Amino acid sequence: MLRILLIDDTQHKLGRLKAALIEAGFDVTEAPGLTIDLPACVETVRPDVVLIDTDSPDRDVMEQVVLVSRDQPRPIVLFTDEHDPGVMRQAIQAGVSAYIVEGIHAARLQPILDVAMARFESDQALKAQLVARDQQLAERKRIEQAKGLLMKMKDCNEEQAYTLMRRQAMSRQQKLIQVAEQIISMHEMLG
Amino acid sequence: MNTAPRATPLAWVNGSDAPEKPSLNIGYMALTDCASVVVAATQGFAQQHGLTLNLKRQGSWAGLRDKLVSGELDAAHCLYGLVYAVHLGIGGVPASDMAVLMGLNQNAQAINLSPALQRKGVTNPEALARLVHQHGARLTFAQTFPTGTHAMWLYYWLASQGIHPLRDVDSVVVPPAQMAAHIQAGRIDGFCVGEPWAADAVAKGQGFTLATSQSIWPDHPEKVLACARAFAEQYPNSARALIKAILAASRFIEQSPENRRSTAQLLSGSAYLDTPLESIEPRLLGHYHDGLGNHWQDRHALRLFDHGRANLPYLSDGMWFMTQFRRWGLLREDPDYLGVARQVQQLALYSEAAQSLGVACPSLPMRSSLLIDGSCWDGSDPYGYARSFSLHALGELPDARVGA
Repeated sequence: MLRILLIDDTQHKLGRLKAALIEAGFDVTEAPGLTIDLPACVETVRPDVVLIDTDSPDRDVMEQVVLVSRDQPRPIVLFTDEHDPGVMRQAIQAGVSAYIVEGIHAARLQPILDVAMARFESDQALKAQLVARDQQLAERKRIEQAKGLLMKMKDCNEEQAYTLMRRQAMSRQQKLIQVAEQIISMHEMLG
Repeated sequence: MNTAPRATPLAWVNGSDAPEKPSLNIGYMALTDCASVVVAATQGFAQQHGLTLNLKRQGSWAGLRDKLVSGELDAAHCLYGLVYAVHLGIGGVPASDMAVLMGLNQNAQAINLSPALQRKGVTNPEALARLVHQHGARLTFAQTFPTGTHAMWLYYWLASQGIHPLRDVDSVVVPPAQMAAHIQAGRIDGFCVGEPWAADAVAKGQGFTLATSQSIWPDHPEKVLACARAFAEQYPNSARALIKAILAASRFIEQSPENRRSTAQLLSGSAYLDTPLESIEPRLLGHYHDGLGNHWQDRHALRLFDHGRANLPYLSDGMWFMTQFRRWGLLREDPDYLGVARQVQQLALYSEAAQSLGVACPSLPMRSSLLIDGSCWDGSDPYGYARSFSLHALGELPDARVGA
């Protein structure tokens, strides 16, 4: 059964979603409005999805969404009465997987959650790949830099510099990037 | 959306040859012949081709197989025979389309016997055959996977000495790194395994090397870089970049004796083989001693590159394993040898990668070899070849002992 963390941030605390969720057969844990520490709450409850019901997502809501996306990534579905497309865009940017305006029917909940979770998964995969790309690029630059320094110091060509660095790394059971970092810091120290 | 061609979240990179998936999980077993995979991952070869390789050491070939099939591993250092067994659905798992991206090495496996047999004077093939046939000894040999290369070398070698591997002896599966311990405990009388584990057993005084795999077939196919076919189809750029990175690493290792020695040092680290350098380096450099006082420089020691000859996924290499599966009754009917090999061996991806690195790539995907028993294998008549051996199990059900 899908575990849902429900945040009721509406002014009148009508609990309009809770009944529909229970009716649709979800395991619902409710938390009061967004005065709580949402990442901590997500860590305790370990929900599959976070639902936020809010009249209008203000800065506090957005901030909490950003924090969850960073520290405890989960699919987040936002139910709201706010029609403003600018606010919607902001919410999506903050890390909301689905932004639903009004219209809460038990029958529609499952497909909404399915889409939100699928969207979340593909976003996460993309994010992981982008992180890998960035890291690769950064390491490549450092290795290039170390190679350049070594070429000057040893008066050798590119291939020889690579071979020297690799032999050094391998005989010390290290990665090439580690040896590159050592060369760079040694060079910085010796000025 | 069901009609959309394999949509990936990275469809936006279409049109470039950048890897669709830049971060790959790569499985390997702690064996000397995983060298080019480890060097590619750690020494900047993968980065140069836009990849990050996350190395995942595995404890057994069966575990590696399961993760390769499930997709938990994108690709892996793998036994040639294992890939074909999974592809054909032999050995208790449903058939699953597999791909061989490149060869990783030739040679460097060995058959060892126990100190107990050594003390009895069983130190040559004739003495072993006598013990089995005249004294009715029931010996147990270990290999590393029922359809793997070690099972096939063991069977082939025993049969070439007149010992039927399925009727005259028992065989069991033991993970490579545990061979010496099993010999020491007296659970097995001999084994076939990849280095450094045969050399390591000799170094520990746990027996001697009776035959090298290269004495069975000089420059035989051994480990490959394998993946699920779906991976090669869905991420062709990643697959090609992976071949390039590993091919470049294998070229680097064989560039000089110094590079080979540094490679041995890297491999001995706890993150990789976690074994003393003395067990790895000599045989990696071709210096063999068998534990009986014989020393030699092996002309067919570990080949990781050999100017690309160790890396081309020859169709005839893949087909050979199927002929042996048929010979030993692991396949009850003949497969479409050539057709299956063409599906599995990713010749197009390999030759694109090799050409871009300036590595020679012969146009003929078959090669001709002479094996220890005098048989010639050139891929031209697999059906006849599978039936050409005096010792075989062609008409039998797969043996329960080897189907485990």
